[in-house]
Amino acid sequence: MEKVCVLGAGSTKYGKLDDSISDITLQASVGAIESAGIESKDIKAGYISNVFGVADKQVHLGPVVMSNLGISDRPSLSIESACGSGSVSFREAYANVAAGFYDVALVTGVEKVTHTGTEWTTTYFSYCSDFFYEGQAGASFPGLFASMARAYIHEFNATEEDFAQVAVKNHDNGLLNPKAHLRKKITVDDVMSSAVVASPLKLYDCCPFSDGASAVILCNEKFAKDHGGNYIEVLGSGRGGSPAALQGREHLTTIPSTKIAAEDAFNMAGITPKDVDFAEVHDCFTIAEVVDTEDLGFFEKGKGVEAVREGKTKLNGEISINPSGGLKSKGHPIGATGVGQVVEVFDQLTGKAGERTVKNAKIGLTQNFGATGASCAVHIFQSV
Amino acid sequence: MNEKQDFIEYAKEGKILSHKCSNCGNLSLATVYFCKKCGKRGFEDLILDGQGKVETYTIMTVPPSGFEKYAPYAWVVLSLDNSDLRVSGFLPNIPKPEDLPIGTALKVVSFDDRGIVLEKS
Repeated sequence: MEKVCVLGAGSTKYGKLDDSISDITLQASVGAIESAGIESKDIKAGYISNVFGVADKQVHLGPVVMSNLGISDRPSLSIESACGSGSVSFREAYANVAAGFYDVALVTGVEKVTHTGTEWTTTYFSYCSDFFYEGQAGASFPGLFASMARAYIHEFNATEEDFAQVAVKNHDNGLLNPKAHLRKKITVDDVMSSAVVASPLKLYDCCPFSDGASAVILCNEKFAKDHGGNYIEVLGSGRGGSPAALQGREHLTTIPSTKIAAEDAFNMAGITPKDVDFAEVHDCFTIAEVVDTEDLGFFEKGKGVEAVREGKTKLNGEISINPSGGLKSKGHPIGATGVGQVVEVFDQLTGKAGERTVKNAKIGLTQNFGATGASCAVHIFQSV
Repeated sequence: MNEKQDFIEYAKEGKILSHKCSNCGNLSLATVYFCKKCGKRGFEDLILDGQGKVETYTIMTVPPSGFEKYAPYAWVVLSLDNSDLRVSGFLPNIPKPEDLPIGTALKVVSFDDRGIVLEKS
């Protein structure tokens, strides 16, 4: 298997964007190509992740991207895996470069939905659940994660204020990220007094609906070395699955797919959670970040909230969790998020993260899942 | 054959259609085609009472399309009595958490465009 490297990364700002879905997909892709210092013709295949292209009148984005990059003859794959689409797309590109099919691949994720409004997004996003048992019975995604939050509060020593701390921390980090969607300092009181969306989750426990696109260039080690310039290595790649509906899970406060994907990725990398300097995790809701940090092995089950309370997950704390601001503050363009996490790791490990730099970081991890974690991918990266 | 349609017909009568694996005896909801424990196909139908206890829930105040007129309502994960299975469903008229302590006894009463519909038993 070839060693795989990330050679470049690009991203649009996340937020409410005016340009079309294909425009922002191309902006991020061109950014990654320029960052890598390659020409588009170096790219042998494209992996384009997106969920609701139908909302902006463009699905089958792959060939549109390749054509506008001047490489219409190159194969592309258009991928949907709910909010985990980006990391799944990254994994497919990783696997193909590792297998030797291509020496260079483009991975771009995109979403463009803010023009549709909250009712459309709430309704259509609910189609990503196990609809027969969940969306059909009136559960939205905030509702599903709220149910996990209630189970967590019931089972462990946790409060709604603990979850609010996650939002405060991620907004603090996002303030340092020029591309973040919600760049605003907030307090625990702000979270607690924000409108209830699905109890016990309030508006500020929830990530925003965002537009945005992110892209990275993957290549084999030979290409990276011959090419020169900054690159990082992919040390481990893991994927896993969970029962699609919450009701089918043994524990309602654990996401099985994360545990499976993390075990695979750590085994491949030959390291343990203690070796990780920072992680970009899937904090679509504050409860999710707490659960993620436990499922990834950073903290024991039920201890994730203590870690938040003690500031262990703050920027340059014991382990920096979501230095980018996470989905909560950086934003969550669902098809782009998993790729955007890799962009952050690339920026962190190549000295491009500015004020939010995790000091002396060598190893970064990304974890991104679809729906309530029905599917998940975890990747581990190392600076070179 | 449509496993979901059979499941729906029983839910309308307040029952849960489950599948008992003919090979290993593991119980699953009838919407599953292969046994998750032993991987075999081949089940006996087992009709369960739609009675259970609230394991967790949310109260929806920002509902998806079609549910505006019901808000606030609860979406509930219910642990069925007399089995280790859970189902999820819609429970109307729950404005605040005090109205639904975890462990509250509920029953399946119907199945319509709101999925499995529950009420307090």
